[in-house]
Amino acid sequence: MSRLRNLAKAVLRRPAVGQTPADVVHTENKWRLLRYRASAAPRSHRTPVVLVPSLINRHYVLDLTPGRSFVEYMRDQGHDVFIIDWGTPGPEDRYLEFDTICDRYIGRALRVSTRLAGTKKAHLLGYCLGGTLAAIHAAARPERVQSFVALAAPIDFHDDGLLSLWMQPRFFDVNQVVRAFGNVPWPLLQASFHMLKPTGNLVKGVGLVERAWDDEFLDGFFAVEKWGNDNVSFPGAAYVRYIEALYQRNELVRGEFRLNGIPARLDAIEFPTMAVTFRDDHIVPWSSAHVLLEKIRSADKKHLDLRGGHVGAVVSRKAATGLWPALSNWWAEREAPSETERVHEESRYDSSPRASRSRDGARRAGGSMGDAESRRHERSALRTDELGRPG
Amino acid sequence: MMGRQAFDIWKKGFDAWEKETAALMEGLLRNPALLAPAGKTLTLFMKAKAMSDRAAAEWWGAWGLPTKRDQERSLHTLNELQSRLLDLEAELQDLKDPQTKA
Repeated sequence: MSRLRNLAKAVLRRPAVGQTPADVVHTENKWRLLRYRASAAPRSHRTPVVLVPSLINRHYVLDLTPGRSFVEYMRDQGHDVFIIDWGTPGPEDRYLEFDTICDRYIGRALRVSTRLAGTKKAHLLGYCLGGTLAAIHAAARPERVQSFVALAAPIDFHDDGLLSLWMQPRFFDVNQVVRAFGNVPWPLLQASFHMLKPTGNLVKGVGLVERAWDDEFLDGFFAVEKWGNDNVSFPGAAYVRYIEALYQRNELVRGEFRLNGIPARLDAIEFPTMAVTFRDDHIVPWSSAHVLLEKIRSADKKHLDLRGGHVGAVVSRKAATGLWPALSNWWAEREAPSETERVHEESRYDSSPRASRSRDGARRAGGSMGDAESRRHERSALRTDELGRPG
Repeated sequence: MMGRQAFDIWKKGFDAWEKETAALMEGLLRNPALLAPAGKTLTLFMKAKAMSDRAAAEWWGAWGLPTKRDQERSLHTLNELQSRLLDLEAELQDLKDPQTKA
């Protein structure tokens, strides 16, 4: 009985999610780039970390609640953390192309973050579908990528999972769905995820009663539930390309995917890469995520295989002592050279006027926000206020 | 204490049932004999919805009013324009300060 009383109390406590303080440093269409403010400890790692979450879930899964937040942990370790908040697509985003999101938007996020951090490159991390987007971007446009982490990211779409089967053209006419709805409604997407494990909600309910005495567990549980039911619809045109090119033709693994006409071949990836897989992940099977390491050319590659499910393994207490420190250390060992170091390195071999101009430029940039970036930052803040979106 | 024991016994039974049911459901959800008609039904509903939307849009259009689709296209074009302006701004920034270029 006391368990049930505790459970009822936990239901009434509304979990406060996404609490780590951040500034909006860029807005475009519905998406925003957030930069987390440094904690009391200074930023000891200069290379920014850019997080790309899934398009159909909210970004705050990586900043769930204080003490259970991936970004809070990374910030406290001295990383300069940026995250893309994809926002909520409007009806007009039915025309938004996959390539625009993957090429232009992620490219912009990398550009703005490196400029603000004063480096040439950033560490890129993609979670779930965000990992697929980031892998495609990194393969086609590696210029600003220092390292890449694919966190439970589907790469091979012809695996033995249910989603792979359901998305085959003989069972699923993606064009008809998009013609009817425009953006693919999130309840439809959520229903398909629930169908992957029809008994999942029952199991969750029983597990909840079983651990109803544990306040910490309950708070975490309801925070994840809140996130899990706060989904967004998939932009229509982007969804058609996602399903046809990836699920149906498996172009990424076959080396046939082109991003705005540029080949996005995984074997072009030469920078340090880590693939993180979860053993009980029923959304992204192990084989679908691990194939990334088999396809890339990089000599510096690592596979981290952990126990847990698709979400739990990223936000659990265990993640705070396993996954998060592993990622933080891996990034710390792979710092990008700063603007000044890079120019200095170049000038040892090049005494031409071009190198001299570069040196001046680096001095002007001084590792801080440039004029144009500063102006854009101000405009973004203004636009955010005008639209009444939360900052 | 008794309650805890009863729950544990019930939980063991539930786990066994869940394991069997999940395997059975997965088998069903993989069965093409079920998936093919389910897919066809979904497509039929989608076609019906698209047809009714088109009919509504034609009615609005007949009055010379912008349809929902017209408004969506215009808004999308505005968003594209914003992105292109940002692209241009980035290119200008690269010209002004080559350090920003990757």
